[in-house]
Amino acid sequence: MIAELLLYFSLFFLITGVLSPFTTSNNKIVNYVAHGVAALGCLATILCAIFIFVNGKVDFITPWIMLGSPVYIRLDYLAAYFLLTIGIVGCTASIYAIGYSREYLGDGRRYQVMVSLYCAFLLSMVLVVSVSHVAAFVVVWELMAVTSFFLVNYEHERDEARRAAFVYIVMTHVGTAFIITAFFLLAYKAGSLDFSSLAQTAGNLDAGIKNVVFLCALIGFGTKAGIIPLHIWLPRAHPAAPSHVSAIMSGVMIKTAIYGLCRFCLDFLGAGPVWWGVVVLVFAIVSSVLGVLYALMESDLKRLLAYSSAENIGIILLGIGAGMVFTAKGLGTLAALAWMAALYHMLNHAIFKSLLFMGAGAVLKSTHTKDIEHLGGLIKKMPYTAVLFLVGTAAISALPPLNGFISEWLTFQSLLYLPQVMHGALGKTFGALLLAMFGLTGGLAAACFVKAFGITFLAKPRSSQAEQAKEVDKPMLISMAVLTGLCVVLGIWPESVIGAIKQVLHGTNGVDALQVFAGTNWYTVGVRLDGNTGLQMPVIIIIMLVGAITAMVLYRMYGKPLLIRGETWTCGIVPTARMEYTATGFSKPIRLAFRSILRPQRETIVDLSPNRYFGRRLSYYVSITDIFGAIYRPVNNTIIKAAQFMKVIQAGSVQLYIGYITAITVLALIISNGW
Amino acid sequence: MISLEYLTIITNVCFAFVIMATAPLLAGIIKAAKAGMQNRRGPRVLQVYYDLFKLLQKDSVVSPTTSWIFALSPYVYFVGAFAAAALLPSGDLFTLLYLLAAGRFFLVLASLDAGSTFGGMGGSREMYISVLVEPVLLLTMLTVVVRAGSTGLAAMAGAAASTPFSLPYIFAAIAFFIVLITETGRIPVDNPDTHLELTMIHEGMVLEYSGRWLGLIFWASAIKQLVFISLFVVLFLPWQPGGLSPLMMFLWIAGKVVITAVTLAVIETSTNKMRLFKVPGFMGVAAMLALLALIAQ
Repeated sequence: MIAELLLYFSLFFLITGVLSPFTTSNNKIVNYVAHGVAALGCLATILCAIFIFVNGKVDFITPWIMLGSPVYIRLDYLAAYFLLTIGIVGCTASIYAIGYSREYLGDGRRYQVMVSLYCAFLLSMVLVVSVSHVAAFVVVWELMAVTSFFLVNYEHERDEARRAAFVYIVMTHVGTAFIITAFFLLAYKAGSLDFSSLAQTAGNLDAGIKNVVFLCALIGFGTKAGIIPLHIWLPRAHPAAPSHVSAIMSGVMIKTAIYGLCRFCLDFLGAGPVWWGVVVLVFAIVSSVLGVLYALMESDLKRLLAYSSAENIGIILLGIGAGMVFTAKGLGTLAALAWMAALYHMLNHAIFKSLLFMGAGAVLKSTHTKDIEHLGGLIKKMPYTAVLFLVGTAAISALPPLNGFISEWLTFQSLLYLPQVMHGALGKTFGALLLAMFGLTGGLAAACFVKAFGITFLAKPRSSQAEQAKEVDKPMLISMAVLTGLCVVLGIWPESVIGAIKQVLHGTNGVDALQVFAGTNWYTVGVRLDGNTGLQMPVIIIIMLVGAITAMVLYRMYGKPLLIRGETWTCGIVPTARMEYTATGFSKPIRLAFRSILRPQRETIVDLSPNRYFGRRLSYYVSITDIFGAIYRPVNNTIIKAAQFMKVIQAGSVQLYIGYITAITVLALIISNGW
Repeated sequence: MISLEYLTIITNVCFAFVIMATAPLLAGIIKAAKAGMQNRRGPRVLQVYYDLFKLLQKDSVVSPTTSWIFALSPYVYFVGAFAAAALLPSGDLFTLLYLLAAGRFFLVLASLDAGSTFGGMGGSREMYISVLVEPVLLLTMLTVVVRAGSTGLAAMAGAAASTPFSLPYIFAAIAFFIVLITETGRIPVDNPDTHLELTMIHEGMVLEYSGRWLGLIFWASAIKQLVFISLFVVLFLPWQPGGLSPLMMFLWIAGKVVITAVTLAVIETSTNKMRLFKVPGFMGVAAMLALLALIAQ
């Protein structure tokens, strides 16, 4: 009852957020009121999710009827878990937006539309995970796509933003087409649009249709999640949107696709053949390795984070894929472990990626550039942002004792069993290589985020913009601080999340959640398989504290040292910002090692006059081509050719088009009603 | 092992102190062995201790470009190495590796902090090497992990101890030895004795450090080196006569550690540093060996 009420509260607040911007022309008030109610709405969502975890599932019917059947809202634990994620990120992003969107206040009407769309975007995501009805799901899914399309297109004077929005809307609709196909096949067989009856019929489907449904769902939701090679919209669209929107897109919007996959794989389809899992694993590992490689090569901070989202989606899918393989093999306990890893990483990624996008937004706001080659030295100008961003980078690099470490540990533990479970030498090699590639991803991610933090915040400022940077406003810092706190809490108190995930997984077919982690206490992550592997964060933290005390004792053993100022050693010349290592230089060894994948193209222009040993100017450009960009080119060309062909019937006169519509309507009537 | 036991923590911490106390000795042994093979007199075996305590008494020169990251990183690096040493008897492998990774993460940040080209060069190369070594490290470990069915180091040591002498296992051992050389920054991947800025990796990163912070970093590097050698000896050279008393067991392991260290010295004397861009091939050899070992098992 309370959970129901809270969901209504949340919807009410978000709808208020959608409407309120148009009631006044004072954008200052709009900023506070609309973002304030959005934050309240998301807070209600968080509470609703917590109530569900405490008091049990909620199931109710709404007065709306769509395509002849009433729309159910079913908040089971899976939906509640995603609601929680949306609530956390939405709430902090809305508070952040109060500070961040101050620079848009002068945009007049356009700003009001943006705020309204922002609230509609949040509303659509809350509904996507709540509704339990095929048609309603597709409608809110579309609402999510369209609102986010307009938000990406907010700065539509810029060519780049327009193109990003266009690529996004095309790709997301291709994805939606596949999702509708998957739903249609299931709903047609079930003869109902209700999710619960879909789950019941799926068991009786024949294998061929099941395979088609699975592949459609994977491609459809995979497009939204940004798995490589369906990712091309992601590195374009996420950086183009305003930063609080990027935080939500990368933090939660792509997670709604994970929700869809979970719904299909855990709920509707259940256990499938092994190759389903293998397909997911292949997509996952390609996404994670290539995503992080491209991220590492990027010098646009927001694009870097966007590519890293593709990587993290890959890590989440590694868990899901492994879970599907284990389910297919009938190993329920291992499957639970793998699914747990996936769901834990989903929440973690939502938290630290939105934190990092907010940090990037703070940098963008105070320096007006996202190009890290022009940044540097911000740790002194923006000390608080620097600390918060640092924790985010450490968490995403899976450093203990932060939350990223726990979920990567779980993923590692579940992948460990793959080589043993897979059949034959080929399967074994596949499993082992998967683990090695997972290790590679970890190493690359650390390199990527060392670069992102080090070049942006450390050393001397590389441009006058960076030199004039100022610390950002309180609302932005507060929301980042909340997320940072969560990174720490979910790292040292993993049992809180694991308890919730256990509830999510309990009762799903093929997954035996009660056996893993049975009988552990609040501070222990233990995997109770044959080996009794455990992870005790308090023990590690105590040991680390002892180590820190030892280091301090060693440091102070001979009294307090004198710190003498001395310039950085640069072989005797006065150090300047131009001598610092650049982001491009930092990633160069890795670029060379992976040049067969990255295909870097470089161009060096040297002006050697007047003396060939002491050149005057040197310009160096390097560009990376996305190897999957090439597969879209033939498709593009075909579509353009087909469009040329269709031009014949497109005269551009409205009367003619009305004529077409009439003709088609008549034709449809004739076909449906007979002569 | 699953429940929080104070006894475990105390044992772990004591073990870390033992490793911490003996790590400089091992570094000294390697140096002395190297000097002996090169017909030099070389420093005393205990010289590393004298160096460390000398450094811990000195004041530091700090660049005004640096921030608190520069002051924090030596501690994080030390804590990472210390905690990794503490986890050796009964911890978890993945945690141990990521604790060391945390130390590296901060040390590379510190290398960028002073804004010098040398620091950035060292940091960039360190990340490059770590990217190459990480997958191979996991592959080699998988040989033992699969046998133990767990990433708990105690279980892994137990599984290794019952392994019969076999060719695949030797492959895995060679693969891990290559990883060991790379992780501890030794020839042919990195030269710990170099002071030529353009060839340094680890030394390049810490170029701006002096005094007590440098002492902490040196000590932590020595600990890390001993941790890796212990992992090698316990997991990949497990063969020793059965039914030994604890004291004899300790002596056996200590003997193997010293032999490994001397082997490192021999390799360091007989080969030279390879080009940075040859390292992927070197790691590739290790990866292939590890994969072979895994499949042949």
